[in-house]
Amino acid sequence: MPGDDANAAVIEVDGIVTRFGASTVHDGVSFSVARGTLAALIGGSGTGKSVLLREIIGLHRPTEGSVRVLGTDMWRSPAEQVAAVRRRFGMTFQDGALFSSLSVAQNVAVPLTEHTRIEPEVREHLVRLRLAQAGLPADAGARMPSELSGGMRKRAALARALALEPEILFLDEPTSGLDPATARAFDALVRSLVDNLGITVFLVTHDLDSLLTVVDRVIVLAGGKVLADGPPREIARLDDAWIRSYFAIRTMVGGSPGRSDGS
Amino acid sequence: MTANAAAERRLELSDDGVRLTLAGAWRLSDLPALGDSLARAQPRAPLTVDGGHLTSLDSAAALELLRALSAAGLDPDSIHWHGFSAPHQRVLDDVLRRRAALAEPVPPARSPWLAGIGERATIIARQGIDHLSFMGETLVAFLELITAPRRLRPRELTAQLEQACLNAIPVVILVTLLIGVVFAYLLGLQAEQYGANIFVVDGVGIGMSREFAPIIVAVIIAGRSGAAFTAQLGSMRLTEEIDAIRTLGLSPMQVLVVPRVLALLIALPLLSFIGLVAGLAGAALVADAMLGIPPAAFAERLHDALDIKHVWAGLIKTPVFALAIAVIGCRLGMHVGRDTRALGLATTSTVVQSIVTVILLDASFAVLFQELGI
Repeated sequence: MPGDDANAAVIEVDGIVTRFGASTVHDGVSFSVARGTLAALIGGSGTGKSVLLREIIGLHRPTEGSVRVLGTDMWRSPAEQVAAVRRRFGMTFQDGALFSSLSVAQNVAVPLTEHTRIEPEVREHLVRLRLAQAGLPADAGARMPSELSGGMRKRAALARALALEPEILFLDEPTSGLDPATARAFDALVRSLVDNLGITVFLVTHDLDSLLTVVDRVIVLAGGKVLADGPPREIARLDDAWIRSYFAIRTMVGGSPGRSDGS
Repeated sequence: MTANAAAERRLELSDDGVRLTLAGAWRLSDLPALGDSLARAQPRAPLTVDGGHLTSLDSAAALELLRALSAAGLDPDSIHWHGFSAPHQRVLDDVLRRRAALAEPVPPARSPWLAGIGERATIIARQGIDHLSFMGETLVAFLELITAPRRLRPRELTAQLEQACLNAIPVVILVTLLIGVVFAYLLGLQAEQYGANIFVVDGVGIGMSREFAPIIVAVIIAGRSGAAFTAQLGSMRLTEEIDAIRTLGLSPMQVLVVPRVLALLIALPLLSFIGLVAGLAGAALVADAMLGIPPAAFAERLHDALDIKHVWAGLIKTPVFALAIAVIGCRLGMHVGRDTRALGLATTSTVVQSIVTVILLDASFAVLFQELGI
C-alpha cells in the first residue's frame, strides 16, 4: 500500500444534490473519507444511502455536486480516466451480483483476465488467495453461484471485488440477510482487510452490531443532509431523535452503545 | 523492455545468492515483469529477504514472491524476512498464513462418458414424465373449473388472448402468405410443363389446409408464446411471486397456467385458419401472375377440389399442438432453477422441445389419418 499519503482523503463527496422528479433525496451532502478507514453510511429507509453509493462509484449521476474517488472526479473526468479509477476500487452488491453462468473461481478471475496480463497459472493461484482472503474454503471455487448459501455468496462477491487488490472497497449492506454469527464473522473479515491489507472500506449498512464493533466512523444521512459524522461511540451519544431511536434498540437488549469501539 | 529493466532494479540478489533485496513498488500491475525476474533469480538457503526499500507491496505480489521462492526449493518458514515496514509485514504475514489454504484443490471427479450418456438419457426420460404429470395437473385444474367455473380469471385470459392471438396475427399472415407464394410457385413450375396449371390449386389447397398452415403457425406460436410463458413464469419464480401466490391461498395452476393454456387452445385454431386463408391468398397471387389463373377461377377450382375434410383434418390437430406448447412452456417456467442462467436455458429448451413435439405429434396424426382413411 502506498504509505506516503496515509491520511489523504480517498473519497470526497461535495455538495451532492439528488432529485427524482419533484422529490429531493439529497440536499447538499458533503463528507470525505481518509485512507485506511472503515467508514459506514447509515440512515433510515428512503434516505438515499444506496443512491449515494451509486453516485460515488459512478453508476448514477447526481443532479448537482461532485464526487472524487482517489482524486478523480467521477462525473467530469474523461471515460478512460474513470475506467482507470474503477480498476482501483471494488464493489459488492447486496445480493452478490455474481455472474450465474460462471463458477465462483471464474467469477473472481474475470477482473484478472480483463485487466491484467498475468499468466493463467499465476492467475489461478491468485484466485485461490482471494477466495481464502474472503474466507471461502478452497473447494468453493468449483461451485456455481446458485449452489451457494447467502453468506457464501457475499463472500464470493467480496473475493471478486478484491481480485485486483483495490485501494477502496464499497460494500452495499454486506451483512443483510445473514445470521448474526455469520454477520459477525463477515465484520471481522472486513476489519482484517482494513488492518492487514490497508484497504479503505466504505459500507452502507443497517446492522447496528457492525457499527458498534468494527467501524471506525459513522456518517448519518437524514433529511437529505449529513446529520452527524464521527466515531460510533460519539454518534450514539448524540441528542437527536432519530439517532436515539436507532441506537435505543441496543440499550433495550441490555448492552451499552459504546460497549466496544472496534480495536 | 523498460518494464523489465525497472523490474530488475526492484529485485537484487547478492552474489552468493543468500540475500534478496526488494525495492520499489511490488503490485499486481507489475506482476508479469516481476515474475520473469523472480524466475531468473536463483536464491539459495539460508536466505534473507530484505524488504526495507519497498515502497508498496500488495498481497498478489507477495503471493508471487512466495511461490517463486517455494519453486526454487526454499521453505518460506526458514526464510529470514528482514526490514519490512509494518504495513508490508502485515500483508506478507496475511499471505504466509493462508499458504495452507492455497494448496491445489482436488478437481471434481469426471464421470466417464458412458455414465454421461446414461445421465442424459435419464434426464430426458424424467423430463418426459414431468411433462406428462404437469399435463395431468393442468387437466385436474380444468376439471376444477367445471365444478367451480367462478375460478376462471377472465381478465387474465383476455390479456393472454390478446398477447398470444391478436398480436400474433400480423406475423402469422406475413409468414403463411409467403409460404403460399413459394409453394404455388414451385408447384407451378412443375405443373406448367404438363399444362396442368389448374391442379396447382388442388395441391396448394390440400397442402396448406392439412399440413402447412397448422405446422407453420404452431412453430411461430412455439417461438412466440411458448418462450414468453417460460420467461414470464420463470422470472416470477425467481422473484418468488409464485411462492407468494401459493401462500396467499391461491393456486398457481388456476391463476397462471390455466389462462395461458386456455388462451393457446383458443388462439391456435383461429390463427391456423387465418394462416390457411393467407396462404391461399398468396397462392392465388402467384396463380394469377404466373399461371394465368384469375382469382375467380382459383376460387371456383378450390371449391371443387378442396374437400372440407382436409380443412378439418388440419384444424383438428391445432388444439393438440396448442396443449403441447402451453404445457411445455408453463412447466419449464414454473420449474426453472433459481438463477438467471437457468431461466435462459429453460427458455431455449421450451422453443426446441415444443417444436420437436409439434412435429412428432404431426407425424403421429399423419399415420392416424392414413389408417382412418381421412
